[in-house]
Amino acid sequence: MEEFEKTLSWQQAAIEAERCLYCYDAPCQAKCPAHVPVPEFIQSIRSGNLHGARTLLQDAHPFIETCGRICPEEAFCQSVCTRSKIDAPLRIRELHRFVTDSSDPSDRMELPEATLGRVAIIGAGPAGLSCARELRVRGFLCDVFEARQVGGVPSQEVSTHRYPLEVEEREIRFLTSAFVANVRPERVTDVKPLVAEYAAVFVATGLPSETDMSIEGTQLAGVHHARELLRAMKSGAISGAGNRVGVIGGGNVAIEVASMLREEDPTRDVMVVYRRGIKELKAFKKEIQEATEIGVTYQFLAIPDKVVGSRHVEGLQVTQTHLCGEDESGRCRFEPLPGSSFIIPLDTVVVAIGQRVDEDVFPGLARSDSGLISAGENMQTSMPGVYAGGDAVHGAQTVVEAVRDGKKAAEQIASFVAGGE
Amino acid sequence: MYREHDLSYDFLGIHLENPFILSAAPPTDELDIAIDGLTAGWAGVVLKTTSVKSNPVNLKHPMMSSFGTAAHKLWGLGNIDLISQYHIGEICERITALKHMFPTKMIAASIMGSKKEDWQSLVWQLKKAGVDLIECSFSCPQGSMGEAPGRMLAQSVEATEKVARWVKEAAGETPVLIKITPQVTDIVEIARALKRAGVDGVTASNSVPALIGVDVETLEPRPSLFGEGAYSGMTGMAIKPLTLRTIAEIARHVDITISGNGGAYTWSDAAELMAVGASNVQFCTLPMHYGFGTIRDLKSGLADFLDRKSYASPLDIVGKALGSIKGQEELVTPHSHSDIDVEACIGCGNCFRACSDGAHRAILWDAEKRKPSVDDEKCPGCGQCMQVCPVNAIRMKEELDGKVHYFEFKGTH
Repeated sequence: MEEFEKTLSWQQAAIEAERCLYCYDAPCQAKCPAHVPVPEFIQSIRSGNLHGARTLLQDAHPFIETCGRICPEEAFCQSVCTRSKIDAPLRIRELHRFVTDSSDPSDRMELPEATLGRVAIIGAGPAGLSCARELRVRGFLCDVFEARQVGGVPSQEVSTHRYPLEVEEREIRFLTSAFVANVRPERVTDVKPLVAEYAAVFVATGLPSETDMSIEGTQLAGVHHARELLRAMKSGAISGAGNRVGVIGGGNVAIEVASMLREEDPTRDVMVVYRRGIKELKAFKKEIQEATEIGVTYQFLAIPDKVVGSRHVEGLQVTQTHLCGEDESGRCRFEPLPGSSFIIPLDTVVVAIGQRVDEDVFPGLARSDSGLISAGENMQTSMPGVYAGGDAVHGAQTVVEAVRDGKKAAEQIASFVAGGE
Repeated sequence: MYREHDLSYDFLGIHLENPFILSAAPPTDELDIAIDGLTAGWAGVVLKTTSVKSNPVNLKHPMMSSFGTAAHKLWGLGNIDLISQYHIGEICERITALKHMFPTKMIAASIMGSKKEDWQSLVWQLKKAGVDLIECSFSCPQGSMGEAPGRMLAQSVEATEKVARWVKEAAGETPVLIKITPQVTDIVEIARALKRAGVDGVTASNSVPALIGVDVETLEPRPSLFGEGAYSGMTGMAIKPLTLRTIAEIARHVDITISGNGGAYTWSDAAELMAVGASNVQFCTLPMHYGFGTIRDLKSGLADFLDRKSYASPLDIVGKALGSIKGQEELVTPHSHSDIDVEACIGCGNCFRACSDGAHRAILWDAEKRKPSVDDEKCPGCGQCMQVCPVNAIRMKEELDGKVHYFEFKGTH
């Protein structure tokens, strides 16, 4: 499948790299949750030292191939680039991708003997695998438990247009073969048995369940959960969606599923139905742009009232909203306009309004009010020896933030084990 | 529709419509190309160096190479070119034709010989053809005729003086310029020899002997002819500071007319060369890079500069900066320190790092605000921070006897 974005050529990368100011104590590096040494790797591009650039990226970040493609640069490094005070920020993510696309994983790796003990990691997504790598580097062996496909959200749910299969396979294969002792395809619902068996446990399950809509008609045939649909399509199955699809939501999952449905069948109408306006969409700019380019359309300022239909979806009844100022958190508020409801004729409705941690798992681990697993600054949960991170703790976030959590958890676990001896 | 500022003046008795001349190089080696250059607005040409008919010219191609960065590829240009393959007979025909087509432009020729008879015969033939000025190449880095390979005539004071006398003796009233190399122990000695020989001026200076590069992957030099290469003559932006020094050094010590050559890319580069003593400026790499059309900006840029500064003629800037060029030991000793414009600063920290690792550790860094400040106790005002600031937010404040002076970047770049 053709990728949306082409990798930079050598010349483009070299010219772009020359724009870097090589800031002292660089803001881009500080802003990156994985603390990728941005100015240094860009300097290495400039000098033609791709191996050096790759080594710098790889040291900082286990998911470099993934983040070179799907990291929302506008939220991190590029948002603070000093160069934008002269003209425009460096295209840091594209330079990052140039390095990974133009070089092979460093084979000059040296790992210590794994003598410090075994750690159980629940979830083989970016947080879990990052933690596994960092622990292996420190001398631990990790068993990683995964009920679904290894790789987490990017592998399961990101369009191959943005994240090609071969890239994913290369990254995951390298991580699991070089750093993970054992991937166990098991669903873990209780950490207590693992605590007894392992030196420590890291819970990084992500958000396996999807939030349902509490409106009428969601039981009708033709109503889908967004991530379920994404996983099905990503695994090669046919979505089964019809010709007029409404996707309810305004986050990355909504935009992603809309894009994939449109890619699956370019003659299909795919409309994102969102309560607020275009400015308030929570999805990343680049994803919105790409979705728009392939013909995804939008119904803004529309709040779903009910899914209409007898046995199968026939439409979505919505009420128009009106944006009215901001709430305490700075989010744009909206209110329904009475008497403004209308029906959008649809044959498929996809719900993409959120996700959560399963309620019936991990007895004994304290939860937040919103049902997320509670973990402190040091990533420790309410149970000694059990750490948690990633989406399961913070709610939906980015790959690079999950990587940060994995790295941080490894550090905490290593000092916990050392302290316990 | 706009009035054109008059940039004309006399140079060694020759009318120049502006100070910008095409030098003896590839842009003047073919008649039709030279015609295009003159038509575009260049004030004159020095046709590429010619020789007597018996002199063989064995060119090797590729002859060009360059060095620079990805964004600025042609920072310096190298050539292993030789003099023209056209001999004096052909050149004389061209001189006559060009003089006929462009009676108000300077039509000059460049020559190179070995024996006295050759030099003088070249001069006589050119005079007969109606040449306005004769330039003599004493400094082709690929070897001057009659000298050992790699040795240039203009590297010997005695040889320079002797041959210059031969040429001027034959030239009579026709002005003679000697094109010299900057690669000598003492450029002033060479200029004095030329003054003694009675020639009209000096072209300062020729391309700089250089090895443009080695491809470390293949260990082939640049340019590479089946894996082998030779030293080049280097031109382009990279050599401007060398040219400035050469011109200034001659102008400070010897009363002789100078035609500037080497490294000028813009009207302001040309104005710099003139400010240290050049009476006009020759160009080669600029048209070889961006074409003859560059003359329009050279002319309008210089005209605007003269207007802004109320100079009547380009001649008014010749040597204007010389009075303030001194030996380091002659300079005053002001109290200097770094003066940072915190408003203009964009917080990159380059000044802090440069001072910390390469100077005096006199710049403090506010990590929170990402702003530098100067420790006046420690800062001797060396100026390194100013060089690395990408937005020219730093200047040096100098104090002496109650007076203040700033060393700063002015203008657009």
